[in-house]
Amino acid sequence: MVQDLLRCRSEPNVLQGYPMIPGNKDKRDGILFSLPYLAVFTLFMIYPLLFGFFISFFKWDILSTAKFVGLKNYTDLFKDAKFYSSLWHTLQFVLITTPILLMMGFAMALAVTGKSPLKGVMETVFFVPYIFSMTVVATLWAWLMQKDFGIFNQVLVSMGAGRVSWLTNEKYAMWSVSLATFWWTAGFNMVLFSAGIKQIPQEIYESAHMDGARPWQVLTHITIPLISSTTVLCLILQVIASFNVFGQVYVMTGGGPSGSTRVLIQYIYETGFRYYKMGYSAAMSYVLFFIILLVSVVQYLTLGRKKD
Amino acid sequence: MKKKLTLALVLLLATGMLFAQGAQEQGAQPSGPIELTFWSLFTGGDGEFFDAMIKEFNASQNEIVMRNDMVKFDNYYTKLTTALSAKTAPDVVVVHQGNLLNYVPSGSLLPLDGYVDKSMLEDFQEAPLEACRFDGKLYSLPFDVHPIVMYYNKDILKAAGITTIPSTAEEFTKAAKQVKDKTGKWGMAIDNTTGTYKAYTLTRLFMSMMAQQGGSLLSDDTKKANFNNAYGEKALTWLKDLVNKDKVNPNELDYDAAMNMFKLGDAAFYFNGVWATGTLENVEGLNFGAAPLPAFMGKSAAWAGSHTLAIPVQKNQDPKKVAAAIKFIDWMTSHGELWAKAGHIPTRKSVTRKAEYKALPYRADYGAAAAFALPTPRTAAWEEIYGTMSDMLEKAVTKNQDTKSALSEMEKTINAIIATY
Amino acid sequence: MTARIIEVLFILLWVFPLFWLVITSLKNENEVVTKVFSFWPRHSTLDNYRKAFTSTYILNWMINSLIVSTFSMILTIVVDAPIAYAFAKIKFPGRNILFWLVMAGMMVPFQVLIVPLYLQFNSYNLVNTLTAAMLPRIALPIGIFILKQFYEEIPSALEEAAFIDGASRFTVFNKIIIPLGKAALTTVIILSFINAWNDFLWPLIAINDTAKYTITVGIANFQGTHGTQYSLIMAGATIASLPQIAFFLFFRKKIIAGIAMSGIKG
Repeated sequence: MVQDLLRCRSEPNVLQGYPMIPGNKDKRDGILFSLPYLAVFTLFMIYPLLFGFFISFFKWDILSTAKFVGLKNYTDLFKDAKFYSSLWHTLQFVLITTPILLMMGFAMALAVTGKSPLKGVMETVFFVPYIFSMTVVATLWAWLMQKDFGIFNQVLVSMGAGRVSWLTNEKYAMWSVSLATFWWTAGFNMVLFSAGIKQIPQEIYESAHMDGARPWQVLTHITIPLISSTTVLCLILQVIASFNVFGQVYVMTGGGPSGSTRVLIQYIYETGFRYYKMGYSAAMSYVLFFIILLVSVVQYLTLGRKKD
Repeated sequence: MKKKLTLALVLLLATGMLFAQGAQEQGAQPSGPIELTFWSLFTGGDGEFFDAMIKEFNASQNEIVMRNDMVKFDNYYTKLTTALSAKTAPDVVVVHQGNLLNYVPSGSLLPLDGYVDKSMLEDFQEAPLEACRFDGKLYSLPFDVHPIVMYYNKDILKAAGITTIPSTAEEFTKAAKQVKDKTGKWGMAIDNTTGTYKAYTLTRLFMSMMAQQGGSLLSDDTKKANFNNAYGEKALTWLKDLVNKDKVNPNELDYDAAMNMFKLGDAAFYFNGVWATGTLENVEGLNFGAAPLPAFMGKSAAWAGSHTLAIPVQKNQDPKKVAAAIKFIDWMTSHGELWAKAGHIPTRKSVTRKAEYKALPYRADYGAAAAFALPTPRTAAWEEIYGTMSDMLEKAVTKNQDTKSALSEMEKTINAIIATY
Repeated sequence: MTARIIEVLFILLWVFPLFWLVITSLKNENEVVTKVFSFWPRHSTLDNYRKAFTSTYILNWMINSLIVSTFSMILTIVVDAPIAYAFAKIKFPGRNILFWLVMAGMMVPFQVLIVPLYLQFNSYNLVNTLTAAMLPRIALPIGIFILKQFYEEIPSALEEAAFIDGASRFTVFNKIIIPLGKAALTTVIILSFINAWNDFLWPLIAINDTAKYTITVGIANFQGTHGTQYSLIMAGATIASLPQIAFFLFFRKKIIAGIAMSGIKG
């Protein structure tokens, strides 16, 4: 019986997107509904986006006249060791946080959509950190993890263990920043996954129960497949967000120790506003943009297409 | 639905009000006192002292009203540069002397030669004033000089049986070891890891020690690194050994922890800029002294920064506002004893003669340090060099890298950076 | 039973940093940095809060943030939902390219946009207004993406039935899509509010007058130029986050009340 309901949901819907009324007004409606956003986008975002791309072909210190240098910024950055190391640090962050944050979000969502009497408390507690601003979270965790006076190490020392160099040892620093990020943003993924889980019709679960399915089977054969579009959504968003990491790393470690956690956006920011090499900074920005775009498109094409 | 509509309308009205406020900024020219704006990067303890000075300036006369808006130091230059690009910067700004070269060539700061009268100029200490001159023109006026100095805990030294303050690097190592053996406390608290604040102390000490031996961080034309030599080796080895060989300085110590360690009475010698005085003297029970940076390696030389006050170029420069700004700068610098409360060294000769200044504890002890302040190398690449050296020195000290190879790698990197400017 | 224990453990772990945040804000700085740690302050004090409220414009900042965030939130929904629906359900030419163009908006590092954005707003004469702080954030691609994914899940059969009955596209959008996509919409509402509230770099650049700062910008100045005062910073952080927590708690009830068991209705 469950199978029937599942098949019903995934059967190709021939009429998807094509209403039956004659005189197809899709083109008009599509544009009409897109207009508000496009208006805002054009008014406020187009100019900066194009300007940023344009300036990447110039040498510009923001204050003097820009000097055209063609592709020099791009060729320079491909030879820049610091660009590669910064990109690598960003990648480390992406690779660490993406799988863990997805799993955490999903696990939390299961907990808060289940039957536990504590689910309301959990939902609030897990989500509240997301409300805090990046500076607050990063400053708090930097203080918690401070090697000599932070509470984590003081607890460890009182238990007889040694001090951990959470943020001052390059082997741990990125993980520590990731840990703070987990606490901060797992709740958001939880909300997305919860919304997805809640959209699964109760009847399917009831049928499965009647068919004698065990919890693990329900999880793997019903829940996970049916929230696949939410998972893909979460995955793509998380990857984009992780590629854009800057603030919390910068506040917690300053890019240290010895620049070992300097992510690409920090390098982009410093190059533009500390070293006044805005053209170079723009070139790196658009290379990063291209990488993120590529990754997202690939993810979307391979995973995101609705299984019709 | 209805509730949402009313809410939206109310908020719409609110924005309307704000729109109007924004527009008013451009239009009305109020008769009465001249309103000036200032962006300050002084927050925290420094900020309180600075704000108090502004209040007193405003209260002391009624021609000019100065409005001060604080911007966290970390983002200050981003905001300033962006505003300068649109020529919407405020009437007076603070610019670190080391950053002036990023603003001068583009003509973003007003040359002040015609506006400052001779008597005022002559009252400034020469070295800091000269540092504000580029190509013979004066682009800002120095507000303070803040060198790196030494603080020492008198109680710890007494308990360790140290009666004279060491002067050479070897003596310091010996004294630090003695402190450790006799009292169990740390001999030195030099920060060597980046936390909330970058580990600039290492670079500042390294630079100072280069100069103390007669060398310099960069070549005279600032086009090449000049520290991969015996001078650099001596300086780096000493800094490294304190942590790794002699173990008198904690490893992986960040800026805040170093200060806190000294505040808690856990370290005998502490090196930081003079700005720390204001914080330290508020610590109950901390019996400390301050002195100019010792001549560890020969001569006296100490890194020093300097806050300067400059006037941005505006689209329509109002000569009345410029004159008012100069008056403001005049008042602020000639009341340097108020700023000295934060620990900084004033730049006007008249201030050093004032009784209130002389009465401030500690400041007099290191006031002389301004005389052998190290000028910042004059290169637009300075910010990048400074930051990169900090990263690499941090690594060399905390990881106990081989001195020679660390220095040669630094040299290579710094030269590559200079080449991109 | 073990499940309950694990849940309680995680709840405690998650709450601990918040607990530490508030506790630190209630301590004197000399109790914060100490070799002898204690969970509870020996002399708890409201000094840091007093200082925040009296020596700063913290109330102004709060109101500014409220205005900016609320407007941002409303306008974001107004522009995001329709285009998300278009992407999800309307097949129109150029849809795919447009979608990626929209997504591109959140892939470009914001740092590179600061200067041109500022120049642009300066030419609009909007520098130093709350309006400037709010406007660039209205276009929220992540909101569109979330809504699109959820709208796609809504069975087309419902729309088709409505069309057959003679409903216009707008009616379908209003009466079917919005209600059925309530979970996602609420998510985006919360997200856009938080996003706007926590926005830091752009409001810092766009707003000059201290009294007009948003709260995130204002409390950043609790960080000293030459030293960190943890207790004060934590107090500022607590104050800055309270309105948002209140907002979330209020909205959470609406979520639970509003989300009926969604499923294939007859």
